[in-house]
Amino acid sequence: MNRKTLFVYLGTLLAMIALIPVGMVQADGHCEFADEAITIGALVPLSAPGSVEGGIAMQWAIEHAASGINADCGIQINGGNYRLEIVVGDSEGSPERGQAAVERLILEDNVDAVVGVYHSAVGLATMTMLDDNGIPTVFSEPWNDNVSANGIIEYEGKPPRIEDGIDHIFRISPASSMVGPVVVNWLLSLGVENVVLIAENTDYGQPAAADETARLEAAGVNVEKLDVELGTEDFVPILSRIQASPETPDAVRLLVTGETSLNLTQQMAELGIAPTGDTICVTNQYAFNSDTYWGTVPDGNYCAFNRVGIIPSLFNDLGTELNAAFEEAWGKLVPSYAMASYDAVHIIANAMEQAGSYSDAATIVAAIEATDLELSQGRYYFDYGSHNPDLPEGTPAFMWHQWPDPIVTVMQYFEQDQSALNAAVVYPEVYQTHGSSYIVPGTSP
Amino acid sequence: MVIQDTLFVLWLLAAGPLWAALGMFLLPSVNQGKAEKDQISTTTLRIAGVVAGFALGPIGVGLFYFEPALIRRTTLTAGIILTVFVSSQVLVRIINPDLPSGLWLILAGPLWAALAAYFLPRQYRAVEANDQNVLTAAALGGFAIGPLIFGLMWKNTPKISRDWMIVLGSLGAWQIYTLFAIHNATNPCVAAPFHITYLTQQTANGIVIGAIYSLMAVGLTLIYSVQGIVSFAHGQLYMVGGYFSFYFLLHGSNVLSELTGAEISINPIWGIPVAAVIVFIMGAVFERIFLKPMHEGLIERVSEYAILITFGFGFFIEYTTLAIAGPFPQRADRFIEIRRFQLAKTQITEEFAFGPINIIGDRAFTMVVGIVLIFALLYFLQRTWTGRALRATSQDRQAAAVTGINPTNMNTLSFGLGSMLAAMSGAALIPIFAWVPWVGAEMVGRSYVIVVLGGLGSVPGALLGGIIVGIVEALGAGCHPDPSRGAAYKEAFALVIFALVLLLKPTGLFGREQT
Repeated sequence: MNRKTLFVYLGTLLAMIALIPVGMVQADGHCEFADEAITIGALVPLSAPGSVEGGIAMQWAIEHAASGINADCGIQINGGNYRLEIVVGDSEGSPERGQAAVERLILEDNVDAVVGVYHSAVGLATMTMLDDNGIPTVFSEPWNDNVSANGIIEYEGKPPRIEDGIDHIFRISPASSMVGPVVVNWLLSLGVENVVLIAENTDYGQPAAADETARLEAAGVNVEKLDVELGTEDFVPILSRIQASPETPDAVRLLVTGETSLNLTQQMAELGIAPTGDTICVTNQYAFNSDTYWGTVPDGNYCAFNRVGIIPSLFNDLGTELNAAFEEAWGKLVPSYAMASYDAVHIIANAMEQAGSYSDAATIVAAIEATDLELSQGRYYFDYGSHNPDLPEGTPAFMWHQWPDPIVTVMQYFEQDQSALNAAVVYPEVYQTHGSSYIVPGTSP
Repeated sequence: MVIQDTLFVLWLLAAGPLWAALGMFLLPSVNQGKAEKDQISTTTLRIAGVVAGFALGPIGVGLFYFEPALIRRTTLTAGIILTVFVSSQVLVRIINPDLPSGLWLILAGPLWAALAAYFLPRQYRAVEANDQNVLTAAALGGFAIGPLIFGLMWKNTPKISRDWMIVLGSLGAWQIYTLFAIHNATNPCVAAPFHITYLTQQTANGIVIGAIYSLMAVGLTLIYSVQGIVSFAHGQLYMVGGYFSFYFLLHGSNVLSELTGAEISINPIWGIPVAAVIVFIMGAVFERIFLKPMHEGLIERVSEYAILITFGFGFFIEYTTLAIAGPFPQRADRFIEIRRFQLAKTQITEEFAFGPINIIGDRAFTMVVGIVLIFALLYFLQRTWTGRALRATSQDRQAAAVTGINPTNMNTLSFGLGSMLAAMSGAALIPIFAWVPWVGAEMVGRSYVIVVLGGLGSVPGALLGGIIVGIVEALGAGCHPDPSRGAAYKEAFALVIFALVLLLKPTGLFGREQT
């Protein structure tokens, strides 16, 4: 082979390599895609101290939603098919790392919208940046009340921030103040008089504990609150303190997330504090991952936990499909934050199609406000926003751009190694599956 | 003063000052009729008499009188601690709870600690006296007895022995406890009659977890003593040791079950040697490839290199584990089927009961494993040729080389052994904690505190340091006046110890001065 022939071959090869991505952009099976792609940023925790398990599940759900949308020829805007690309930012569960990730998503990756966020601290730290840069955002897991209120707390009793411009932040996870009442009302219905609240020292744990304490104390319940740091492994000294209390608590309620909640629950059970005939154990919704729960909390039978998100028996077709895909990928039931992340991508995609634009933030926000869409967790809509700016008297500020219908239930295991699918829903009564509002340890419903 | 506590009156009769005075008077007579070389110093005997009489009354005095061989540093230390504890209990009952702690702040406390720590070492240097431990003794003394410490140390500039430190430290601790009790009368650590049980429970919690902490810290200190570097991959080696054990147990049990047709679950104890062997090899190979060039002079900035390369090794292990094992928490089966050991409640007097004391079964088992492994390591270091060679290399590399020891091999061995110890503690703890790829982060921070407290390079120091850190954390979290904050500050209590050690005794409890 002479040198000229070699150059021709090499040139052809290089041209083919260069053309591969162009071809991929231009055609994907039956779809003809536009040259430009729409980019959505996924802000999730993928490193400690964040909840890595949560972050990975959310990332999977976001990418799964994007690949489904692309398989249906992407986002259709003005007759064009736009491929959806996901760029992932690792928040590490920390506000400053979250801000750095958002800065990169906005300035370097030029994202058109953002979804995700697991930790409230990250949501609180990044929402102003996202809002200032006009990025339509749908948060899928932070619970802190001020996330969707987004500073509106200062405007209490007045028309919301619409006066200052467009609010780009939406939330489809519940606010802590939507979750707290369910657990508190359940405990009150059981007649508790002394409750120990163990709360993580974060923007989720502290406000949630304050809210639940206020509700319990208003009902005449004596509350002792203990704070713990996420990542702590040994809780025996502080649990010994509970054991030393002159009065045995009627319930121990954990407002602690991740593997920290698993360690705490197991140590509490090992020491014989709860669950017992005298003391109700209310652990974190992480217990819904039954394989992980039983693997790490073997003594945790009869613990109750709050479940946010639709319960398995009420899954619609999309929820069932998503759950099947998640089980195939991870061998576990799909968690609510993965379902919410999946839905968040669809909400944004739908809004862009309705708005007829992927770059006009104001129109996209207006389209999100007008959302009426059935997705994996149910029907999505937003009662309050620029389309309906006057919050009625008594409506909390966090209802602004807040999906009002996340389902919150209290579930309880009653058999060792039981699947979450078979765990009893004990509260609210309307969702009860075993005709009982509490299964006393040692008994069956 | 109103004495309502029956137990206190009983103690006044059965022990206390009366018996302390008797012990101080009586014990020096044990020297009578003995040859001068067999005699114990009168001062020691008087101290022993006071301590034994005050804390244990006639039993203590009798023990020392008939068995003077028992009068050793360890028994005296235990006696002083017991005396301090008992006397603090007495003070809590007789001092007016309204006594302002401001009085203490004027007469002793941090102000006098700072003054003594500033002036006394200067005085020692001015008169060219031995100033070893003077800073620590001055600070402790100022804190405990205020200006009196100047009277004791200024003119005579006595040599500061370990006994000085123990006495002054105990006095300081006693004052803090007393003041704490005065101002937090309902705290479970001081509120009679339950506080003895509660303090015992928390101390037991601390000892159990502290012994487990020690095992990991020992590995770190071993690497430092031989190579002079701090391994920043130690937390990840601890983590990966747990995972090796977990997957060995999981797959090993599955294979055995398939072979035998019966459900077989391998006890996690067998995961410890498996993790030990694998991680020893990992550590040794890493040392040979990445650290050996450092010792051969091929690397210019050795300290920075050691930090960065071990950091990198740690990140590599952590993220590889995350990729393979996933982020889902795991936990191995129990070592033993006993959920918890319980010392049952015993009614001692009508008002006072002791117990129950609870220790989680697996933790107790892990503590025993940890202590056995540490003693095995001590045996290896003290009694085997290879162990002695390691120690020799840690003391003087060149001299060791002259005697035929290969320092390069000792480096590899030390890193392998250190890594192995981290992995063994991980394998011992995976039945106790939920295991995730970043589980080592919290543990390794504590290990640094322990090795500094015990003295960098000292194995017994690491053991003692671990137990001290465990107790401090347990008592800190359990006794903090605000229960809500006690748990949140748990790790901070160890850091306070860390800061105090760096300030007052940078060499730690058993550390060597750098030459």
